[in-house]
Amino acid sequence: MSNSEHRWGMAIDLDRCTGCQACVTACHAENNLPLSDPESAAKGRAVHWIRVDRYYEGEFPNIRVKHVPVLCQQCDEAPCEPVCPVYATYHNEEGLNVQVYNRCVGTRYCGNNCPYSVRFFNWFDPVWPSPLELQHNPDVSIRMGGVMEKCTFCIQRIKRSKDDAAAESRPLKDGDVKPACVQSCPAEAMVFGDLNDPGSKVSQLAESGRATRLLEELGTKPKVFYLQKAT
Amino acid sequence: MDRRNFFKIVSTASAGVAATSCGKKEALIPLLVPEHQIAPGEEQWHPSVCTECSAGCGVIVRVMEGERIVERNGQKFRERIASIKKIEGNPLDPVSSGALCARGQAAVQSLYNPDRVRGPMHRTGDRGKAAFSSMSWDDGIAAITKAISATDKSKVVFLTTAPAGSRLAGIQRFLQSIGAPAAYTSSLADFSIERQAAQAVFGWTGMPDYHVSQARYVLGVGADFLGGWVSPVYYGGQFGRFRQGRLGIRGKLVQAESRMSLTAASADEWLPVRPGFEPHLLVAVGRLLLEEKLARAAEQLPPGVTESILGADLQQLIRSTGVDPNVLRRVARELGESEAPLVIGGASVIHSNSFQAIVASHYLNIMLGNVGRRGGPQAPHPASDVAAANPNVVEALKAAQVVFLDGENPVYTLPPSSGVAAALASKTIISFGSFIDDSAAYADVILPSHHPLEAEAAVVAMVGGPATSVAVATPFVRPLYDTRPLEQTLGDIARKLNVAFEPVTAKSFVQPLLPNGETWDNVALRGGLWLEGEANAQPLKPVSKNMQWSDPTFSGDALQFPLQFQPYLSVQYHDGRGANLPWMQELPDPASSAMWGLPVEIDPKTATKLNVATGDWVRVESANGKLDAPAYVHPAALPGVVSMAIGEGHTHYGRYASGRGANPISILAPAQETSTGVLAFGATRVRVARLEQRPSELIQFSPQDREQGPWGHR
Repeated sequence: MSNSEHRWGMAIDLDRCTGCQACVTACHAENNLPLSDPESAAKGRAVHWIRVDRYYEGEFPNIRVKHVPVLCQQCDEAPCEPVCPVYATYHNEEGLNVQVYNRCVGTRYCGNNCPYSVRFFNWFDPVWPSPLELQHNPDVSIRMGGVMEKCTFCIQRIKRSKDDAAAESRPLKDGDVKPACVQSCPAEAMVFGDLNDPGSKVSQLAESGRATRLLEELGTKPKVFYLQKAT
Repeated sequence: MDRRNFFKIVSTASAGVAATSCGKKEALIPLLVPEHQIAPGEEQWHPSVCTECSAGCGVIVRVMEGERIVERNGQKFRERIASIKKIEGNPLDPVSSGALCARGQAAVQSLYNPDRVRGPMHRTGDRGKAAFSSMSWDDGIAAITKAISATDKSKVVFLTTAPAGSRLAGIQRFLQSIGAPAAYTSSLADFSIERQAAQAVFGWTGMPDYHVSQARYVLGVGADFLGGWVSPVYYGGQFGRFRQGRLGIRGKLVQAESRMSLTAASADEWLPVRPGFEPHLLVAVGRLLLEEKLARAAEQLPPGVTESILGADLQQLIRSTGVDPNVLRRVARELGESEAPLVIGGASVIHSNSFQAIVASHYLNIMLGNVGRRGGPQAPHPASDVAAANPNVVEALKAAQVVFLDGENPVYTLPPSSGVAAALASKTIISFGSFIDDSAAYADVILPSHHPLEAEAAVVAMVGGPATSVAVATPFVRPLYDTRPLEQTLGDIARKLNVAFEPVTAKSFVQPLLPNGETWDNVALRGGLWLEGEANAQPLKPVSKNMQWSDPTFSGDALQFPLQFQPYLSVQYHDGRGANLPWMQELPDPASSAMWGLPVEIDPKTATKLNVATGDWVRVESANGKLDAPAYVHPAALPGVVSMAIGEGHTHYGRYASGRGANPISILAPAQETSTGVLAFGATRVRVARLEQRPSELIQFSPQDREQGPWGHR
């Protein structure tokens, strides 16, 4: 782990999450995700950096549903990183798994090695029938065919918040940075912040008795914490 | 953008120091953005109102530079324009509280949809075939004026989905000035039964507002309030605070519904009530509360109501619901013993007796003593009422000579068995829509309005009452095409008809609501007028003082059609109008994870009997029609109940929706809810058969719905 100032993490409270998928669309709008079509989607090529998995537990009538939003877990021991032959996917000093699109040659080893299935390959150049492209966020580059892409924790929003704080000559405060998914969530189920700051909301939630991580036993050390439903 | 930053922007901007330098988001201007003020990389935020549904979420819109190609004299030019990048909830708005649902965020794809109507058009082919060619505004308005002048004004029908606010007020005023009957709605999502039940029991006009966040124990019955019901944004926020927003207090939600909706999935307990037995369940709970002396305000019940509840056969009631009697008894006890109990009754699926269920839910709240209190149902703002539903809309259309369509799509939202297509056969039909949808395909003239993101509006929130909550939009981007504000078109028609008509603007709508010291400019700058307090609380003026319940009726012979069919309102498509947004098409369906098409949800037992697996195609057939669709074997579907989200199956609605999937409404019988006459879209019986062919794949983003091993891999 680096000695950088920030170490970004997220907590998702499954007791609040309603599975409404506002986060999914927010991510599309913010990050210029390629548009799928029925043909590409049928081939498993639709791209959602965040998805809401649903799990049914038990049998009718004693059946329960669990909604679990799954995005890149920004692992500290990320299985995707060591397999990239060209260092297109690497760990930045703030703990993010970053994808350098220009460096990516499309071996897809990283996607293959990701236990959370949150990496997506662009099989073709993305197409937006005009004038849909007017919506594109100029802060985020469009990924072309042959390139792997994934959730960035909205690194452009982190950057913007840092710039804003710098312009006002103040340190970044807890809650200043909100990735698009976190911002959009009606139930405020998602909390983003600095795990290096023991006072941050996300650090405190990560310490909660309800906090778990996905596939922790693999030793990936994810930085997304799931607060299980209280019952 | 968070609340703190937005406040700051509003305060700087209102102090008149909104600068455009130094690359910061200081500019929040309720004015059209001139091209020279768009600097690359600089963002501006403008308040607006979401009109994807009628809840009335205040939003803020991120505007940055964009570029489009325009053709002049055969030559192509690049034009720099202010374009919309993202829509977020307005942090000052009490409905959205800064958040927004998936469909609201996708509204930008309706603005920039490649299939928008780009100017006035007239029909050149057969009705319903969507063959149009362009015309001038003058010719369009002249054609309409001619049609109106030649007709008996009582035979003008105006259908609108406009939410309560300036647009609806303008339409009603226009119709009044020309002497035509008031506008009404044929939408499936106007919650007319809920409104009429609130009117009957409380004497309220509008939708009751449930303060879930302050309740401790919520019994939801039939209302998918976290999904396709009134506002998933408002109630999602309430729910988050209900569960984890209070120190040491965690609210418990028990949801009784005949489908595993988003609300049922989020609940602590789901009571799978048989379709149409919601009134019985509620009366049984009422009876248990009275018997166990847990109805703390039993004396407030009208005597007739107490009498009928106590006269009910409890065993019989409980048995009919299909819910475990011990569970129901425990739930009633927990509800009665809770410090802040709340019952939310609604009809996400409308059965023949849904009105009775909602009336019963109100009486439960009365006996629990929470009406108008913290954590109980609150009176709506009196101005929040929308156009009335007309149960006889098809009859009205048959009798009409001139039909105006504003957002309404009756050919889609009414079953063919109602005769809607024939009713539209020989009328003059004028559409103000932005798209050629199933109904606009029948229009003679299309006079496209500005897109809501290009127009001004004042919308009274459907929830958040009794406080005044009006979200306001003022235009900030130039309209992309040759469209006009609806108010202007109506004004032009009135002028041609030589009728005095004063259009309703957002400003003229809001002005009478302004308290002392508040100005329109401030309201436009913040994006709304939000007043605390209960000054406008509607007093209780109950109309009905008794309660009845009856068994649901279903159309179709039970032997021939053994299964019950439940179309429902979904978060992604609402009443079908979200289907032309590619983000909504590719949004995995919450129940099945299906993209680009919706499946029929079938329970595992029935599926086994029919030899149907997920992905197989089935034919769903009622006495009134049939549809083919892929099946999703839903582990939590009620045995014998087949459900399907409304949204697909448009004949015309742009490239993303046209001809995709099936419309569940298309096979419904024209059954009516008994008390209100509203289309009972959950009252049709069907049979299901497996098809040998699979015309296309069921596309699922996450096919697995059970954990496998340590974690389900996709």
